[in-house]
Amino acid sequence: MATLALKQLKKQYPNGYKALHGIDLAFGEGELIVIVGPSGCGKSTLLRTLAGLEDISEGDLEINGKRVNELEPAERDIAMVFQNYALYPHMSVFDNMAYGLKNRRTPKDEIQQRVSEAAELLGLTELLDRRPKQLSGGQRQRVAMGRAIVRKPQVFLFDEPLSNLDAKLRVQMRLEIRRLQKRLKVTSVYVTHDQTEAMTLADRLVVMNGGHVEQFGTPMALYDQPASQFVAGFIGSPAMNFLSATQAQTGLALPCGATIALQGEGLATGAELTLGIRPEHLQVLGAADALPAGAAELEARIELVEPLGADTLAYCRLQGQSEPLVVRLDGEHAVAEEQTLRLAILPARAHLFGADGKRLATREQATAAIE
Amino acid sequence: MRYNRPGLDIASHALLIVGCALFFLPVWIAFSASTHEMGDLYSNVAPVWIGEAGLDNYRQLLADPVSSLGADVMTLLFNSMLMALGIAIGKIIISVLAAYAIVFFEFRFRKLCFWLIFITLMLPVEVRILPTFKVVADLNMLDSYAGLILPLIASATATFLLRQFYLTIPAELVEAARIDGAGPWRFLKDILLPLSKTNIAALFVIMFIYGWNQYLWPLLITTDADYLTIVVSLKRMLTTGDGLVPWQDVTATTLLAMGPPVLVILFMQRYFIKGLVDSEK
Repeated sequence: MATLALKQLKKQYPNGYKALHGIDLAFGEGELIVIVGPSGCGKSTLLRTLAGLEDISEGDLEINGKRVNELEPAERDIAMVFQNYALYPHMSVFDNMAYGLKNRRTPKDEIQQRVSEAAELLGLTELLDRRPKQLSGGQRQRVAMGRAIVRKPQVFLFDEPLSNLDAKLRVQMRLEIRRLQKRLKVTSVYVTHDQTEAMTLADRLVVMNGGHVEQFGTPMALYDQPASQFVAGFIGSPAMNFLSATQAQTGLALPCGATIALQGEGLATGAELTLGIRPEHLQVLGAADALPAGAAELEARIELVEPLGADTLAYCRLQGQSEPLVVRLDGEHAVAEEQTLRLAILPARAHLFGADGKRLATREQATAAIE
Repeated sequence: MRYNRPGLDIASHALLIVGCALFFLPVWIAFSASTHEMGDLYSNVAPVWIGEAGLDNYRQLLADPVSSLGADVMTLLFNSMLMALGIAIGKIIISVLAAYAIVFFEFRFRKLCFWLIFITLMLPVEVRILPTFKVVADLNMLDSYAGLILPLIASATATFLLRQFYLTIPAELVEAARIDGAGPWRFLKDILLPLSKTNIAALFVIMFIYGWNQYLWPLLITTDADYLTIVVSLKRMLTTGDGLVPWQDVTATTLLAMGPPVLVILFMQRYFIKGLVDSEK
């Protein structure tokens, strides 16, 4: 178990490309940290600098309070699981797992014991004599994890370990990684581009964009209080809907003509901003239902329906809006294309973002003021 | 590929048999000639069947020095074997290390180094033979095994082939080994060499035959019969001045000279097929 601290970590490649612009993060003992972001956001680079596979250009990296910038990967007491597993093709499963220990001159019987423990834990005991190419994708994945576990490192690093697996196996291995990490209580850093994987695995989540950390917090904190429009759009599936809005005297004016009793803190009247509402937070109203207090009322025509079983997604066209508005409905909801939905955006469910993409503090208008 | 046409099978086999026979015929004629007495060969038409001498010519060649050469064929075979093995193994060691450096290490002028090695492909031994001879002579390596082997062991071909193979090794494998605490030598020994086993076996065969068939270089730098190689001696056996060419000895020596390369191929074939069927990657 270890703590990990990144202080103003910067990475610049020899060709001048800046991949990381001063990352400040601190991870606690036994935490599972997921770093998530679109491709090219620097998440893999960050992981590789943690591993020591990339040099750090500026700033400090500390494991357990000790600066490790100059240490070789093998000296940092970390283990890494790669996306393509990177198993040694000519070695048996046993030798693959034992190789790191052999290089560290671990006594033979201890190697034997540690490998068989790890194999037991991962259900690989039967496969110890096989070569990697005789294994299925999921089994290879397990061997790659076994290779990390036997070393009993301070930190586990995972570089998109599940992206080569099929969907069903991915869900299964996701649970397995989670369970294993809870059991071994080893501080872990896990990189993925899949936000579902990120949400389900993470104790805390780092969202990266363009070499910066956009937000760092628990998955639910990021879901409830996204710090920027980028995080809001990245966390949650289907993604949050964004509507352009204008600050008005008594609330916000939406392009479709509706108003909502909500204002961006400290904005002048007439200022442009973005209102975000999650597909699951759009409330569907019956024809006779009264509009909840302060809510904006939208009339949206359904263009496309995606039934998922438990839920149904409706892609709607909204006046004055080029992007379709996604609404998550109960699976039992019988909706058809071309039908018009009456929707409400509750002020408490709406997120506001300024022109710079940052989250705005909101001020709910007293309902009485509108009426 | 397999077509379900019996006629095609028969025709292609017939063609293969004719081809094999055509290639085997000279070898057979050489063999039957080597089993006759010299007198037989000059008094009769070319023999097609095994003669009375049997394997006597072979026994004599291997045991006693041949008058025109000053060495027995056993010595020639030994010299050739040492030279071919030295060249093949030397080439492999040098090119494994060179390719390893070029592919996996970052250093200044890495590209330049590769291209410098690469352009030597355009300079075969024959082109640079005089300067090479001068260097070897200055180093006092004339009439020595070192002189036979060393100038020939740098190989751009093998370096290039191994480089191409090394480039296909995923970067993650190198990184995994680094994290597993394998330094450069250990990575080479534990991972790279086992993975390139089949490539090295193929290179070994090619380079062994290249070394075995060297003619001009050994001819130039050896004058002592103790260092004579079998390929060079074949030509020498034909130059008898006014005497008759001892064809039975020449053909027997030819067949003996063919032996080791054939054995190397037969032995290494296992690894080729294993490499094709049971790919490590």
